Amino acid sequence: MTMENTKLINKKIYKNVFMYMGLFALAAIWFIPMVTVFLSSIKSQSEYYSSMGLFDLPNKIYWPNYIDAWRIGKLGTYMRNGLFVSLVKVPLGIFVEAMAAFALTRLPIKHKTPIFLYFLLGMMLPAQVALVPINIAFNKLHLINTYFGLFYVYIGFGIGFGILILRGFFKTIPEELDDAAKIDGCNRWQLFTKIILPISKPAIATLFIIDFLGTWNEFILASVIIYDNNMKTVSTGLMNFIGEYSTNQGVLSAGVLMSIIPVLIVFLFFQRYIVEGMSGAVKS
Amino acid sequence: MKKWPTISNYFFLLPAFLIYTTVVIGPALYSAYLSLFKWNGIGPKKFVGLKNYYNLFFNDPVFLISLKNNLTWIVLTLGITMIIALGLALLFSQNFRGRTFFRSYFYFPYTLSFIMIAIVWRKIYDPSSGFLNEFLRAINLGDFTSTWTADPNIALFCVFAAAAWQGIGQPMILFLTGLQTVSAEVVEAATIDGAGKVRLFFSIIVPLMKETFVIVIATLVIVSMKVYDIILGMTGGGPANSTQTLGTYMRAQTFLYNHFGVGTAIAVVMLLVMLLIIVPYMILTARSD
Repeated sequence: MTMENTKLINKKIYKNVFMYMGLFALAAIWFIPMVTVFLSSIKSQSEYYSSMGLFDLPNKIYWPNYIDAWRIGKLGTYMRNGLFVSLVKVPLGIFVEAMAAFALTRLPIKHKTPIFLYFLLGMMLPAQVALVPINIAFNKLHLINTYFGLFYVYIGFGIGFGILILRGFFKTIPEELDDAAKIDGCNRWQLFTKIILPISKPAIATLFIIDFLGTWNEFILASVIIYDNNMKTVSTGLMNFIGEYSTNQGVLSAGVLMSIIPVLIVFLFFQRYIVEGMSGAVKS
Repeated sequence: MKKWPTISNYFFLLPAFLIYTTVVIGPALYSAYLSLFKWNGIGPKKFVGLKNYYNLFFNDPVFLISLKNNLTWIVLTLGITMIIALGLALLFSQNFRGRTFFRSYFYFPYTLSFIMIAIVWRKIYDPSSGFLNEFLRAINLGDFTSTWTADPNIALFCVFAAAAWQGIGQPMILFLTGLQTVSAEVVEAATIDGAGKVRLFFSIIVPLMKETFVIVIATLVIVSMKVYDIILGMTGGGPANSTQTLGTYMRAQTFLYNHFGVGTAIAVVMLLVMLLIIVPYMILTARSD
């Protein structure tokens, strides 16, 4: 091996070492918030307010914080509600969006592009713009504190993104398939449910995951529709926590950690879909 | 082959169109209408024309703080969040061990809700037992301890740090996707021609990723104009309205003070500012093609 080569290899190793060091340093900084919450969640209230520093571990892990957050803090209720709302809203929304995307890609209708752009507009509008009229209308229609009202608004605000993703995927399905289906005697509805939807499983899965997380995390719309504490979902419920447990940091921390767990599980299992879905949205 | 009737094709669009129009577009237009009235939400509406807007811009210091905070937020997001995201994307577009893990690692906070982030970051800034002050004391820099989010001069920046922690994942993924479209051959050819790393980045990669930049910048501007939950969860707009944004101030005017006309006017301003930044930017990029 010549001197030249050794030098080059050395340079490469140094470069890699520096890259990893920088990356690990940034990763460590990114980890601090989670460690901080965890350390607060395992201390009793007296330990938290004693002279014990943040970094000192308590002699014994104080589990009651987790139990209190789940039962007295109603986190169990919030998470159950959140799961129900997400699991009903997401499939319903996707079905409505898929029908529209089907019409926009495969049926002979006029003004496809303006209609598509009309739906896209909603992705840009801040929820604040629609908040007051929705609140007024829902008061009149007695839809405040109903999950029907919440589903309806959630579906409305999700339509833009859903159509964007599904339309992009439907366009990649070859037209010959439609012709073959027509010859076999399929009507439009059968073409949609028996052929297009099953083929689109990857796009639907992606949309499902992204929409599930979005619905699980949604705050602003839920905060003007659901006031009943027993009906709240995770974000609005956690907002209650901030008010009620501002003096009990242990319970607050335990609560937020538990609420992150389902998100973490979904993320770990489906991250491929999330990342691909985001890039898919850009490409279309 | 049997021809399908044409009118009934529109039935497939109908549910989406109806729900979307009644939830998003209809209410948005009604908000614009309501912003021309003085109304407490219950009694009769009084038509005041553009007076709500006039008062916001000329008689309402809190509104001006909110607007300034949103604009500051945009600058911070484009200057810090976007740059970190771009740096990480450039790093992760190279092949090395642990690449997938770190990509997911930095993306993960993006899947958390702002309320969760707010609670988590309150632990960082808590003056008596939070991470920052404890850390500063531990390394003998006790003089630099602060009340952080309770200090009107720096509160906004503290909240922004939390938002940046959450928000780099999204632009990072968008940049990574964009980088995939930059062909390896072009990069190789430029390297052979003697282009250095910096030159390569600014003269080859950035121009080729123009579309990605448009999408990222437009998305980040929209997100910055919408910033709401994280402020509500961390500071509630305080101290002394120093972290108020258009989103939180709209909520305060509408649901705390029952000024429905003023509240809707703020929402309309939010949208207009958004358009005012994004539309010229998009036209400029489209024209330079």
